[in-house]
Amino acid sequence: MVSLTVNGSPVDISGKDDKPLLWVLREDLGLLGPKYGCGVAQCGACRVLIDGESTPSCTVALGAIAGASVVTVEGLARADGTLSVVQQAWLDEQVPQCGFCQPGFLIATTALLAHTPRPTDAEIDEAITNICRCGTHPRIRRAIHRAAAAQAQG
Amino acid sequence: MPRFLSRRGFLFTGAAVGGTALVAAVGGVGYLATVDMDGPDGFVDGNRAVLNAFVAVHADGRVVIQAPRTEMGQGIHTGLAMLVAEELDIPFDDLISVEHPVEQLAVYTNYAAPLRTRPEDAHGPVMWAAKRALGLLPLMNTAGSSSTMGLWFPMRIAGAAARHMLVTAGAARLGVPVGELTTSDGFVHHGASRRSIPYGALTRDAAAVPPPREPVLRPASAWRLIGRSQPRVDLPGKVRGEPVFGADVVLPNMLHAAIRQAPVFGAGVARLVNAAEVRAQPGVIDVAVIDGRSVAVVAGSWWQAEAAAQRLDVQWTRTEADGVTSAGLAASLHAALDSDDPYIHLAEGDVEAGFRPGAARVVEATYTAPFLAHACMEPMNATVIIHGDGAAEAWCPSQSPLFMRWGVNRGAGLANVDPSSVTCHITMNGGAFGRRSEMDVVVQAAFLAARHRGRPVKLMWSREEDIGRGVFRSHAAARLRAALGPDGLPIAYDARVAAQAMQQSAASRNLPFGNGGSARGDRFTLEGLDKAHYSFPNRRVRSQHVPSHMPIGAWRSNGFSFNTFFAESFVDECAAAAGADPVAYRRALLRDSPRHLAVLNRVAALAGWGMPMPPGRGRGIAIEEAYESVVAQVAEVTVAADGEVTVDRVFCAIDVGIVVNPDAVAAQMEGGILFGVTTALMSAITIEDGAVVESNFHDFPMQRLRNAPEVVVEMVPSDLPPGGAGEPGIVPVAAAIANAIHAATGRRLRSLPLAVTETIGERRTRSVLRENAA
Repeated sequence: MVSLTVNGSPVDISGKDDKPLLWVLREDLGLLGPKYGCGVAQCGACRVLIDGESTPSCTVALGAIAGASVVTVEGLARADGTLSVVQQAWLDEQVPQCGFCQPGFLIATTALLAHTPRPTDAEIDEAITNICRCGTHPRIRRAIHRAAAAQAQG
Repeated sequence: MPRFLSRRGFLFTGAAVGGTALVAAVGGVGYLATVDMDGPDGFVDGNRAVLNAFVAVHADGRVVIQAPRTEMGQGIHTGLAMLVAEELDIPFDDLISVEHPVEQLAVYTNYAAPLRTRPEDAHGPVMWAAKRALGLLPLMNTAGSSSTMGLWFPMRIAGAAARHMLVTAGAARLGVPVGELTTSDGFVHHGASRRSIPYGALTRDAAAVPPPREPVLRPASAWRLIGRSQPRVDLPGKVRGEPVFGADVVLPNMLHAAIRQAPVFGAGVARLVNAAEVRAQPGVIDVAVIDGRSVAVVAGSWWQAEAAAQRLDVQWTRTEADGVTSAGLAASLHAALDSDDPYIHLAEGDVEAGFRPGAARVVEATYTAPFLAHACMEPMNATVIIHGDGAAEAWCPSQSPLFMRWGVNRGAGLANVDPSSVTCHITMNGGAFGRRSEMDVVVQAAFLAARHRGRPVKLMWSREEDIGRGVFRSHAAARLRAALGPDGLPIAYDARVAAQAMQQSAASRNLPFGNGGSARGDRFTLEGLDKAHYSFPNRRVRSQHVPSHMPIGAWRSNGFSFNTFFAESFVDECAAAAGADPVAYRRALLRDSPRHLAVLNRVAALAGWGMPMPPGRGRGIAIEEAYESVVAQVAEVTVAADGEVTVDRVFCAIDVGIVVNPDAVAAQMEGGILFGVTTALMSAITIEDGAVVESNFHDFPMQRLRNAPEVVVEMVPSDLPPGGAGEPGIVPVAAAIANAIHAATGRRLRSLPLAVTETIGERRTRSVLRENAA
């Protein structure tokens, strides 16, 4: 049995140690925000925070992260529903098009801003390696800077 | 689910909604020009009043709008809701919700894409008959950048009709003449008595009011919403990870399926070597051969199904295509450029005269483009259940509920099940780009559902199946010639293209009747090649269909995606031969096309055309008319000494006609440009031993943030009716980049992709010009 904290709630999962975290989240825990886009840690649509680190969940076996705290896109907003600064910046910049990849970008940006509160463009390029097929890249960059500014203002 | 049974209907003429006279007599020319709004009468369903096929008002003031096109990221649900809200006179706020209708009604038909005309302009008996035929199907699809174009009148008429019904009900309630009432923000007002009634309080009465025969649409001067950016209705959910894409459909007792399809298109299953072993894998309950062509594994979870499918050992049948390679396919294209039996699309003037020896300076060049996959972020999927009573129900991020319905029938038919009805739910859609106009995954899921009757089956393809086993944009080659006159401008323009026809290939897979006609003269092969806006005194455009075993399907902007690269690169070559500046040269060519000239001038000004650039950097321009919009772009590139090419900025000016939601149009230009930069620099599908080599994002790479250019978009004011926005953004990019590379380096690159992708770290790449690549 593997015990985890997922979006703040404790969960115990038995007999699925080899199953990728992505599919545990989607199939066993009903958290459909993280997406399957490639299965090989290329696209980032499946990214979640594992102990604060942005990680592609499609290639992480459940058994490898026993005891970890996992946050999915569903866990970014506050309990009262208030959007996180990153989510709000995404909305303010009207970033998503189809939106399928965006949960991964929101997670990756949340992790980036936790480590690097005011990232430069070069730091953004280094940290955010997700794929978006719709081409929301210019807005993502703007939204990251907007979120950083909002976070700095508290 | 209420059925739309009544057909009292209402009709509006294109002329009347355009502001002129009255409805012509039924049967007259006016009738043949109608925008057909034949739909349901109003009815009451609980707290909801359905006022017509597009608008329902709830007692609490919520308005539910039926948007009969697939939301796939282009923001169409927002734009269509804006059109209704404009005429209904309601604020654009969170009391509005937008759904894709479940009912397949004639009034939801897409006339604009198949008829290639705006429905209000589709005059005459032939168009009338074509509209009737399409409406009988009804053809509902989201394709060809046609949604706003085709629904520009219907959505507004629906809003105006609903408003009329509410006002009429309000007049009766207040005991005053209709003419004394006004509306605003979802209320009916009687100014004289200072009384107001919210729409929600009038729903029951309004539903009983006959729809107006001639609703009056607001003049442009009174628009509150059209032309002013409104926030997308689907984004609040999308930033929370809430929307249910097809891949997220969860139903009670659902089964999951993964699939393996033949690597060589056209091959089938010769022998399933280890069915028993795979069936014994954890969670697996079925291993099924579908139509002799693919093998599906059905399990309790998709992870189990896919893990088991990875163990499948399938021997595929041998086909004539087993030895096909990209090089061989390319050779067939080049041979076709020399064919003595081309399809003559256009022959204006005497082209050959221009090329007589000694007559003029001749510029000639040959260009190529590869096969391409769509690589939508959401992999192909469909969920189908066939209930015990024979009724089928399907969920799919499809671009066409009609094709979905046909797909369910076909797939169930493969298992000898004939559904008594098919209900189609269009889910949120994780990118489509033409790929989801195919019914393939629906057919497969329906077959599996028929084998597991009473249980929903969700089939999802892996990314490898998506990239390597799907449908593709055709490869293409073109030879262009021009004879330049004394002023350096072409006297004669002669273009011929060879590619595999799209329409016939797609029709052969997706239509239940016929094969879509001749592949000869396929318009998706030719579009973008004629450069009709340029004043060429003599012009010839020819094409050649080159068949192969590859399945060709709709792909964002289709022929424009290669022909505009060919033709706009070539015009740059002509300008260079004439010693002319590329913008000045195009200005001269656009002397008879003021709309295009304005767009060209706008983008040139935006980009600071003519300002000096440092060594190794260059600007390139390209322009095209596509989907009734005119779009021009300037790309700025940097080419390093080692050949690394970076697209730094792209400037875009577009005349898209009247702009409904400016921010959504800007987003489509940005997205189209990014899609186009990936395509121009990185994308190629290659064939070895008859099979696609590429399989995932490591070898079919995408631009990431690191490589993404800055994009600047400006819309040129226009009072033409709305044109398309979903596809034009991608169209000029590749040529603009190639022209910029020429400006930076003096090198003319004539084959797409222009660069090869080198890996420089985990999920990091760079693009290196092909001739510099190792």
